[in-house]
Amino acid sequence: MGGTASKLPKELLSEYQELTFLTKQEILLAHKRFSELQGRENGPYGSRVSMEKILTLPELKSNPFRKRICYVFSTCDLGDGSLSFEDFLDLLSAFSDSATLEIKSHYAFRIFDFDDDGTLDARDLEKLVNCLTGETDDTRLTAEEMRQLLNNILEESDIDKDGTVNLSEFQHVISRSPDFVSSFKIVL
Amino acid sequence: MELREFNNQVHPTPDYPSPYGSQHSLRLRTVPAQETSAAQFDWAPPPEDAEDSNEPRNLRELPLHMGLKRAVWQVQQMRTPVVSSSWNIKQSQTFRRFCEVAKYVLSYFVLWKRGIQMIGGHFGGGVQSYFLFLRFLVILNFLSSLLIAAFVLIPSIVFRSMNFNSTIPTVNLTGVEICLQYDPKPDTLMVFITYVLDLISGTGFMEYSYLFYGYYNNSMVESDGFSYNIPLAYLLTASFYFLFCFICMIIRMGGTARVAVVTGGGATGGYSTLVFTGWDHGLQGERTTNLKQSNFRNRLQVDLEEERLKKKAASLTLGQTVSLYALRVFLNIVVLILIGATFYGIAKATQFSQLKQKETTGFVALLLQYLPSMVITASNFVVPLLCDKIALLEKYSPSTTVILALLRAVFLRLVSLGVLLYTLWEQITCEGDIYKENCIPCNYYYNEYKCWETRVGQEMYKLTLFDFLITIATLILVEFPRRIVVDHCSCKLTQWVGRQEFLVAPNVLALVYSQTVVWTGAFFCPLLPFINTIKFILFYYCKKITLFQNCQPATRNFRSTTSNFFFLLVLVFGWMLATMVLLYSVTKIHPSYGCGPFRFYPTMWEVVPQATEMLNNTSAEFLFYIGSQKFSIPLFIFSCVLLCYVSALTSVHGKSVALLKSQCKLEQRDKQFLVRQIEELNATVQKEQREPQQPQRGTDTATRWNQHDNYAFARDEDPRPY
Repeated sequence: MGGTASKLPKELLSEYQELTFLTKQEILLAHKRFSELQGRENGPYGSRVSMEKILTLPELKSNPFRKRICYVFSTCDLGDGSLSFEDFLDLLSAFSDSATLEIKSHYAFRIFDFDDDGTLDARDLEKLVNCLTGETDDTRLTAEEMRQLLNNILEESDIDKDGTVNLSEFQHVISRSPDFVSSFKIVL
Repeated sequence: MELREFNNQVHPTPDYPSPYGSQHSLRLRTVPAQETSAAQFDWAPPPEDAEDSNEPRNLRELPLHMGLKRAVWQVQQMRTPVVSSSWNIKQSQTFRRFCEVAKYVLSYFVLWKRGIQMIGGHFGGGVQSYFLFLRFLVILNFLSSLLIAAFVLIPSIVFRSMNFNSTIPTVNLTGVEICLQYDPKPDTLMVFITYVLDLISGTGFMEYSYLFYGYYNNSMVESDGFSYNIPLAYLLTASFYFLFCFICMIIRMGGTARVAVVTGGGATGGYSTLVFTGWDHGLQGERTTNLKQSNFRNRLQVDLEEERLKKKAASLTLGQTVSLYALRVFLNIVVLILIGATFYGIAKATQFSQLKQKETTGFVALLLQYLPSMVITASNFVVPLLCDKIALLEKYSPSTTVILALLRAVFLRLVSLGVLLYTLWEQITCEGDIYKENCIPCNYYYNEYKCWETRVGQEMYKLTLFDFLITIATLILVEFPRRIVVDHCSCKLTQWVGRQEFLVAPNVLALVYSQTVVWTGAFFCPLLPFINTIKFILFYYCKKITLFQNCQPATRNFRSTTSNFFFLLVLVFGWMLATMVLLYSVTKIHPSYGCGPFRFYPTMWEVVPQATEMLNNTSAEFLFYIGSQKFSIPLFIFSCVLLCYVSALTSVHGKSVALLKSQCKLEQRDKQFLVRQIEELNATVQKEQREPQQPQRGTDTATRWNQHDNYAFARDEDPRPY
């Protein structure tokens, strides 16, 4: 299924409308952009687009969390971050205008969970802060500042004091921020 | 079930348990598993929890990937009984699809949707909130100008052009003949420069036009059962215009207030909120991202440093605290003196301008006419800068500094407008004393103000126009050159000055000021809302151009939700100022004899009682009843009770939010306590078992269990839902 810029069949379109938060126009636009990415790719993965190609999208190209986003939404068994069209739609649905706070916070938690163990421990948080401030040496916080910051974060959000932030604690912090829904948004 | 066995094969019991040990309970769940490594956490919740009612909403809300959602959907489709509810389901589905189509069609009519989305993507939520506010004001002004056009402008044009026989009420006009003289008709032959000057200052040919109050006639047309009372229409349209604006603002404030109450203020939990929610995923472009990252780092460093300083400041000696407070009091006095000096300057400039306007002509006259506007704009530019610098000296925390600076700027802007109006009032009504020499026959200063309403309208028109010109001039003469200099000249000074930063707060305050001017002037200059609509539309495009060409993203993160509420609140203050002006001029000041629709009434309000006399008995009685004390006092008491009820409800909701939060914390602590008890019990059991026998496999598992787990619940009884 590579190469041909085929139109999306109507039943699939209505099914996608049922299963995602995207409107019809958004799904069609996503299909168009995804087909452009596919190009002539005809590899063993069939309809999947590799992570490198996905990361050429301007909306994702400079996002510091781009690789984590691809890994989280990818259903590829090899875990290489490649996305099928349905994965791409899942991505856009979670980042869309009408997605609920619960969905967004759930996926935000998964994106921030760098080691995929179900909680945010100090290592995950440190990597998260480094993504936010920049990966190069002169843009990182000093070790002292990082320690102070991580202590503050865990003190504020770790309610059960187990040294990690789990999903419900994360969602609790998110619910107090009214700007989260509008900032966790990617629109094509 | 086959799926369970399948799950068994793919997920063997791990040697190390994850904090939830979910592998155990997932085995019991009928979810087709992914072939993931054992280290990865499986997020799929059980599909049996999905409810039948509300299915599509729930389907989308499942945090599963598409394949799993489709499987769930198919299971649900198979489960729903075919006979009775299929028709219901189809109906609800078609209704939902109709709603989506309607939403899509309506979204086409949303003004500037794509543009504002792009702005939000490149510059963040704070700048976007400015443009959303601007859009709200554009729509408000447009609808108001439609209202005024429909009820005042178009009937006036129609009646004037058709030369209807208007019934003018007979009034005793002896002794005031001198007041009736008003002849603003311009010379037909004009020099071009006079034309331009008249256009800018609203005099000459502009004065005697539909733009200003003075051109409207006091015609009351009655023909063939159709009657239209222009003065009454003029007054009622103005009041409905104010009411309409107020209702729109309140509705918009309600939305933002609701969010603020639900999130309980939102200022707590600073660091974790910042880190978890601070990144704006809509940002695009390498440079924007780098800038945002450096802003983030700056902000974190500043916050961390502030925390360290706060800890140090808490340990200030008594002498140091006293000196700090003394400094603050002194600086507040300085600020007050500064603002007072500004007011004095504005008052003097207005008086000077009003006196000298008649004596000079040409360009100098134009300058004199614009003198109050220039002084106001200059002070609005200079004084907030000084206040910002002073605020830095006061050593408050950054958030307090921002709020203080905003409050001072708002105070300055609105009250400077008030000073201008006060000065005008002083001149027009001879300081309120109608028995003064200048005001004797006409009850207003006839010699200077043959048509005082038009003059007030002209002042507001000039303020609006001047504000617009200054904004455009700043854009062209300051921001573009600044960008060119910064981009092409790489010396240290220019890099330190840097590109223009789009500061949201001063820009929004400028909008609030313009809107207040428009509200004040709308009664005296009916086309002003229309002019303002065009002005704001031009603002949108100019500000957007300057934003993308010249500006860098803001260094300080802007809390858009709480600030939105604050800006709307300030807009309401502006509205109140304008309402006070309207009420005072309608009820207290004598209308001009020579011009306008209220020509021969003692006050403008008199139109209403005279019009109600002409109604039939029942309507008149009804209106009198509504206006009487018997009705209005119980109504007032009822609305007070309603207000108390609603605010009590709000505080109860806020308190229950806080209560639930603390309950959450207590539950976790209870769990920890129980866990520790179980660990102690295990330890004693272990000790007893160890003494008689060698370490057995059971104790090994128990030891492993204690070492790794923090929770001793049975895995499949884990009640934590997500």
